[in-house]
Amino acid sequence: MTRVQLLDVTKRYGSTVAVDNFRADIADGEFVTLLGPSGCGKTTTLRMVAGLVDLTSGQIRFDGQVINNVPPHKRNVGLAFQSHALFPHLSVARNIAFGLEVKGTPKEEIQHRVREMLDMIELSQHADRMPSQLSGGQQQRVALARMLATDPRVLLFDEPLSALDRNLRDTLKYSILELQRRTGKTAIYVTHDQSEAFAISDRIFVMNEGRIEQAGTQLDIYLHPRTEFVAGFVGDNNAIPGEVVGRVAGASGEPALVDVRAGGMRLRGLDPGNVRVGDKVLAFVRPENIEVIMDSGPADVPNLVRGRIDQIVFEGPTVRLVVDVEGIPIKATAGGLGRLTLLAQERRYVVLRLQEVTVVRDDPALAA
Amino acid sequence: MATLAAPAETASGRNPGFSLKWLGNVLAHGYVWVWLAIFALPFLATLAYSLRTPDGVWTISAYQYVFGSFKENLLLSLETTILTIIINLVIAVPAAYAIVRHPLPGKSFMLSALNLSLYTPAAVMGLSLVIAYAFLFRIPQTMTGLIAAYVVGTFPLMLVPVIVALRDLPMVFEEAARTLGATRMQTFWRVEIPLLGPGISAGILLTFVIIFNEILVTPFIAGPSTTTAALRVYNLTRTAGFQPSTAALATTMQLVSFVVVLIFFRFFGSRYLKGTYLI
Repeated sequence: MTRVQLLDVTKRYGSTVAVDNFRADIADGEFVTLLGPSGCGKTTTLRMVAGLVDLTSGQIRFDGQVINNVPPHKRNVGLAFQSHALFPHLSVARNIAFGLEVKGTPKEEIQHRVREMLDMIELSQHADRMPSQLSGGQQQRVALARMLATDPRVLLFDEPLSALDRNLRDTLKYSILELQRRTGKTAIYVTHDQSEAFAISDRIFVMNEGRIEQAGTQLDIYLHPRTEFVAGFVGDNNAIPGEVVGRVAGASGEPALVDVRAGGMRLRGLDPGNVRVGDKVLAFVRPENIEVIMDSGPADVPNLVRGRIDQIVFEGPTVRLVVDVEGIPIKATAGGLGRLTLLAQERRYVVLRLQEVTVVRDDPALAA
Repeated sequence: MATLAAPAETASGRNPGFSLKWLGNVLAHGYVWVWLAIFALPFLATLAYSLRTPDGVWTISAYQYVFGSFKENLLLSLETTILTIIINLVIAVPAAYAIVRHPLPGKSFMLSALNLSLYTPAAVMGLSLVIAYAFLFRIPQTMTGLIAAYVVGTFPLMLVPVIVALRDLPMVFEEAARTLGATRMQTFWRVEIPLLGPGISAGILLTFVIIFNEILVTPFIAGPSTTTAALRVYNLTRTAGFQPSTAALATTMQLVSFVVVLIFFRFFGSRYLKGTYLI
């Protein structure tokens, strides 16, 4: 089992930087996801680990050994593609056997292994079918079996579920996780789908424009986003621009807070640790953490703001509101039984109680 | 739901199955069949001629010459065609890889230049080859010269279908094979060649059909010991007139071509012939 390290891995195409000093230390058996929008460099990074793309600079190490110059067929990795890439001229069984055949494995062993794999993906009766005769989900399962047949030391996944429909995606992602757990292999998974990443990863690297924006667990990234991009990309979020006006030391055991003035609003959120009084910041609050109070009373307490309901949408389990607070449209969602009382309250003035406010430095250099 | 079908019964009480649309279909099909028949007439005439003696007796005795004195010519035609196909393959497949997979400066110029032989008048080609073979290479009227000329003339027809097939071959198969542990050579033989098969077959088909029946450049550069079947038919017609035996040889050649083409379309369809001047 393998520990994978990426040390300042960089890829440049001419003057474009596709991957910028990617640094990661992935433990043996860990399931890591690279999450980000199209073009953020996640696939390029994965392909460098696979050996399909050369590094411009940096190092990739498997178990401490530098493998930059090892060709892909010698790296003993498994790669699952978005388009399953099953060889169209070979049957399911021959596809799965491919990696073993090219290594010169004895016939009996190949047969045994193929049968094992087919049982694992529950497609034993389809051994002699051609890939074109299978459904999308079945094809992807065969692709997984083909990848695992050679017992690779690292599993790499390049958005393997993007081409499948929602239901299939939901079931297959857990199959992938289960396979990884069962085999105990280190896995690197690339996706742009945040719910997929959250469902199966031990750790997530959020990427944007070739750089790692933040790396951490699902909780870290969701509750404590450290950059504007992460706060906005992962889950829904409201961004309120303002200025730091003060600091509040945390009570014992409690984190430090900062006070932010945003127009007429007074907000208080977690101290990110890298702002001073007077700095421009963005205060983020997630729609599900906003409580709507049917009251137009005074709002002079931190994190209580007044606004007018502009829009109400009944989504089923939730009611989604857009509240105009000093010209900023704040999205709020209300769940639970009380949500129905919010319906038909357009143009009503309300007070919003904001909770779990996070503060991120507003760096104009990073603005898109 | 309202239908647009022909009325069940018109005012004049005509057959309910008859309609303008049906008539249009019949005429369209009929048009194609008529021309098909017209094009097939020369072959049918030759076939009929080969089965009849000058006295009007129906017999296949003319075909004995096919296995007799024409045998050598047919074998030579087959030999040169097959060798041409092999040489074309050996040159075209790596060339296609170079063009498709490795960025080359001046690619469009190169492709135009490689296709040049298709647009060279046969007489020009014939004359220049005679001169080159006689005085430059010193290989007048040899099989080598024949094959060399055939390769130059049909190389683009092998190259283009292979380029088309290679371009349509997603890189992902190669990548999958390599990450599964296959070396470059293993990937080439186990994955790429089988998937390029249809494209390569298109090139083989085109080369075969054209070279087996080649009669434009061959008269210039062939000699008494290198007379292909097509050339033999041509010579016989000029010297001996219309003989059933000549017709038999011509019919045999046509049948060979028919069979090869039918086999190709049966297995591979017409997809890879796009981009050549035949489709």
